Amino acid sequence: MRKGWLRDYILKRLLYSLIIAWGILTVTFILVRVGPSSPADKYLANIAARGQDPSQVIAAIEARYGLDKPVLQQYGEYIFNLLRGNWGWSLSTSMPVIELIKHHWIYSFQLILLSSLFAAIIGILIGIYSAVKQYTKADYAFTFLSFIGISIPNFWLGVMLILVFSVKLGLFKTYYDTTLPLFSLANLKALTLPVITLGTGMLAAYVRYTRSAMLDNLRKPFVTTARAKGLPEHIVIGKHVFRNALLPLVTIIMFDLGSIVFGGAYLTEIVFGIPGLGQVSFNAIFANDYPVVVAITLIGTLVVLLVNLVTDIAYTYLDPRIRYE
Amino acid sequence: MQSYSRNNIILRVNDLKTYFFTRRGVVKAVDGVSFELRQGECLCLVGESGCGKSVTALSILRLFDSPPGRIVGGTVVYNSTDLASCPDQELRKVRGKEIALILQEAQSALNPVLTIGDQIIEQMKIHLPLSTDEARFKAINLLREMGIPSAEDVLNYYPHQLSGGMKQRVLVTMSLCCDPKILIADEPTTAVDVTIKAQVLDMFHQLKTKRQMSLIFITHDLAVVAEIGDRAVVMYGGRDVETAPVSEIISAPAHPYTAGLLECLPDLSREMSRLNSIPGMPPDPSKMPPGCTFHPRCPKMIDICRTQEPPLAEISKEHKVRCHLYA
Amino acid sequence: MNERKETAGKDRAAFHGGGFRLASYYWQRMARNRLAIFGLAFIIFLALVAIAGPFFTPDPTEVDFEAKNMPPVGFTITQSVYDIKTDQFITTRVSGTWKHPLGTDRKGRDMLAMIVSGARVSLQVGLLATGIAIIIGTIIGVMSAYLGGWIDNALMRFTDVMMTFPFFLLLVLIVFIFGPSLAFIVLAIGLTGWTGTARLVRSESLSLRTREFVMAAKALGASDGRVVFRHLIPNVISLIIVIATLSIPGVILAEAALSFIGLGDPTVPSWGIILEEGQHSLTTAWWVAVEPGIMLLLTVLAFNFLGDGLRDAFDPKSNV
Repeated sequence: MRKGWLRDYILKRLLYSLIIAWGILTVTFILVRVGPSSPADKYLANIAARGQDPSQVIAAIEARYGLDKPVLQQYGEYIFNLLRGNWGWSLSTSMPVIELIKHHWIYSFQLILLSSLFAAIIGILIGIYSAVKQYTKADYAFTFLSFIGISIPNFWLGVMLILVFSVKLGLFKTYYDTTLPLFSLANLKALTLPVITLGTGMLAAYVRYTRSAMLDNLRKPFVTTARAKGLPEHIVIGKHVFRNALLPLVTIIMFDLGSIVFGGAYLTEIVFGIPGLGQVSFNAIFANDYPVVVAITLIGTLVVLLVNLVTDIAYTYLDPRIRYE
Repeated sequence: MQSYSRNNIILRVNDLKTYFFTRRGVVKAVDGVSFELRQGECLCLVGESGCGKSVTALSILRLFDSPPGRIVGGTVVYNSTDLASCPDQELRKVRGKEIALILQEAQSALNPVLTIGDQIIEQMKIHLPLSTDEARFKAINLLREMGIPSAEDVLNYYPHQLSGGMKQRVLVTMSLCCDPKILIADEPTTAVDVTIKAQVLDMFHQLKTKRQMSLIFITHDLAVVAEIGDRAVVMYGGRDVETAPVSEIISAPAHPYTAGLLECLPDLSREMSRLNSIPGMPPDPSKMPPGCTFHPRCPKMIDICRTQEPPLAEISKEHKVRCHLYA
Repeated sequence: MNERKETAGKDRAAFHGGGFRLASYYWQRMARNRLAIFGLAFIIFLALVAIAGPFFTPDPTEVDFEAKNMPPVGFTITQSVYDIKTDQFITTRVSGTWKHPLGTDRKGRDMLAMIVSGARVSLQVGLLATGIAIIIGTIIGVMSAYLGGWIDNALMRFTDVMMTFPFFLLLVLIVFIFGPSLAFIVLAIGLTGWTGTARLVRSESLSLRTREFVMAAKALGASDGRVVFRHLIPNVISLIIVIATLSIPGVILAEAALSFIGLGDPTVPSWGIILEEGQHSLTTAWWVAVEPGIMLLLTVLAFNFLGDGLRDAFDPKSNV
C-alpha cells in the first residue's frame, strides 16, 4: 500500500502544530509579562537592607535584562532569539534556560515513562481479564476498584504512601534522593512510590478503557470466525480481539500522556521533591522567571503535539482502513 | 440419483437443545433438533429467521456466546466423539480442521485489522504441519481455485479492500484451507447481491462434486434449496418439523408449514395477483406456544395441536414429519 | 426498534416541556444503579454539612495551642511535650475527645470545623466553576454547530489551542498572577475548563440539527434563536447534565491541587490547604493529612458514580 498521502498529511499537521505552539507561547508570554510583579522584586529586601533607593536599583536591574522595553518589543526579541535557538536566560537561577532544562528533564522523563509503562501494562491486562470474565465477581471487583483509582487525588495518594511506607514502615525515604545514579536499582526503588502515585490514576483509567474496548469487539462476527478456525482462546483474545480494541486505546493512552505531563507528574514531583521540569517551572512561576515559564510551557506543548502526531501516524499502521484527507 | 447409502453417515445430531439463559428468561433457541449428514451430500436447513437454524449450526461446533448460551441436551456425534460434551481441547482440533463454518455476516466475518494472508495462514499453521511458505503457497493455490485473480496480492490486502463477493470467496477459501470433511455455510447467499448469488451457489456446487465434501447449507430461501440441496430439514420454533429429500419437499410437502413456505415462492408459471405469505409471526423463542409450536398459524390445526407435542411420523423411510395430521 | 421509540419520546417531551414524566422515567432507570444512588446520597449529605455545619462547629481558624495535635476520637498516640517546669521533653499519652471528634492540627484548630469549611469550598468551587465552564462550552458548541462555516472553523481551532494548553500550568499561572482568592480560582477554572463540553455539545448539536423536528421547526419559519433555544438546547440538556456531573470531580481536584501547592485562598481552610499542612506533620499528626484526603476521595467518587449512573440512564441503548 502506498502512503504518499501520509507525507502531505504529516507536513500539514506539523505546520498546524507550529501554529498552535505559537499561540500558546504568545498567551503564556502575555500572561507572565502583564503580571503586577517584576522578576527584579526578589532583590527588594536586599536593596532595602543596603539602604539603597529601591526604584533606582530595580530600574537598573530591569534595564540590564531588557525588562524596561515595551512588552511588544520584548516579545519580538524573545521570538527572534528563540528562532536562533536561544532560549533565554533564567533570572532566578542565573543560568541559560537551556542548561536548566538539560539538567532537569531526565527526572520528569523517567517518572513519566515508568509510570506510563506500569499503568499501561497492568491496566491493559486487568482490563482484558475483566472483559473476558464480564459479570463475574472478579469483574465487579476490578470495576469498583478502578472507580476508586480514577477518583483518588494523586497528590493525596502520594502523601498516604509516604505516611504508610516511609513514616510508619520505614521502607522508603520520605524524599526522592537526587544523589542516586540514574540507572541503578536504588534509583528504581526510590521511584517506586512516585510511580505508584502517578500511575494509579492512569492504571484505573486504562482498566476501564480496555474493558469497554474489548467488550465492544468480543461479540463481533470475526471473533466467532476465529474460534471456528480452531484457534486457541489466547490467540482469539490476544490477537483477534485485542488488535481491534487497541485502536481506541492508543488514542486515549496518548491523549492521557499529554495531560499527565503537566498535571499529575507536576504534583507528584512536588510531593516527593523530585527536581523535574514541573518543580522547576513551579519555582519559576513563583520567582517571576518568565523565560523559564515560557520555555517549559512551550516544550511541554510541543511534546504533547508531537505525541498526538505520532499517534495519528501509528494509527495508520494499526488500522489499515484509516486514511486522513 | 441417490448414490449414497444410509450407512455412511458422517455427522449425527440427536435431540440437540441449546438454551440461552438471559436476565429476561430462558430463550430456547434450539429445542430438540435431530438430523444426520451423509457423506458427500448437501443438507439444507430451511426456515424463517428466528427458527433456530443459525444457532443449530453454531451449536455443532459450540460457537454460540457462552454465557448466556448452553447446550442443555442432546448429542452431536462426529467420528464417535460427542462434540456437544467433549473437552474444549478436543473440540478445537475439530474446528476448522474437520468441520469448517462460514458465518452469515460475510461483510464482518473477517478481522478488519489483519491481512487476508495472515488470517488464512494462521489457521493452517495451527492444524497442519506446514511452514509459513508452504502454507502461503497453498493459500495462493486455493484462492486461484476459488476464482480470485492476482491471489498473491490479495494475501496482503485487508478486508476493506475487497468487494462483497471477494470476501465471500476468501471466507470459503479460509474454511477449505485445512481440507475439512464437513462445511457448514450459514446463509452464504443472503448478503450478496443477485448477480453474485449464482456464482456463490455454483462455487458450493463444485465443492460438493469436485471435492466430495459434505455440506450443511443454511438458508431461508426454498429456491436456493431446490438449486443446491440433496435433502432438507425444515425448522420451525427451534425444532425440525420435516426432513425429506429436496425433490419430495418441493413436490409433496407434508407439514403445513413447509407447504406454506412453498406457497410463498413466486411462481412464474402461474398468474398470481399477489404473493402469498404465512399469516402471523414466528413464535418468540422465550415464550413458545404449548403443543405444536406452529398451531397458532396453522391452517389445518386440530384440537390436539394445542396441547400435545406432535410425535415424529414416518411417511416413508426418507421422509419424516412432526405433525399430528400424520400421527 | 425500542431505541427509536425512546429517543422519539425524549424529543417529544422536550418539545412540549413535559419534563416531569420524563424526569420520573429517568429517575427509575437511574435508581436501579445502586452506586449512583450512593453517590447522590453522599452529595446531598455533603451539601447539608456545608450549609448547616458551620452553625454547629467552632471557628475553623481559631488557634488553641493548649489542644494541639489531638488525635480523632478512638485513637491514642504518644507525644513528646516540652515541659517548662522541668525543662525537659516528657512523653505523654493523648487520647481523642468528643470536644474535637476529628482531632486538631498542630495549631490546635478543630479538624471537624476545617473539614466542614473545606466541604463548603469544594462544593462552591465545584459547582460554580463547572457552571461557568458548561455555559461557555455550551454556547461555543451550539454556536459552532449551528452557525457552521468560518465561525465553526475559528471556534474549533481556538478550542484546539485551549485543549493543547497544559491545563494545570495555565491554572497555576493565572492564579499566581491574579492572586489566590476563591473568586479568581473559580473564574480561572471556569474560563479554562470548557473545551471538552464545547466539543461534545457541538457534535451532539450537529447530529440533532439534521433531525426531523428541527427541520420541521425551520420549515415552519422559526427564527434561528428560537430553533437554538427551543429545540437544540433542550435536547442536548441530558448530555450537558452528564458532562457537568462528570466535570465536577476534576474541578474539585484542581482546586485542591492548587491549594496543595500553596495557591489556595489563605483566608478559608480548604481540603487542599489542610492536606498541604498535614503533609508536614505526618510524623506527629497523621490524621491531618488523612481526613481531608478521604473527604476528597469520597466526594470525587460520589460525583463519578452519579455521573456514570446518569449517563447510563440517559443512554437509550443501555439496558439498565
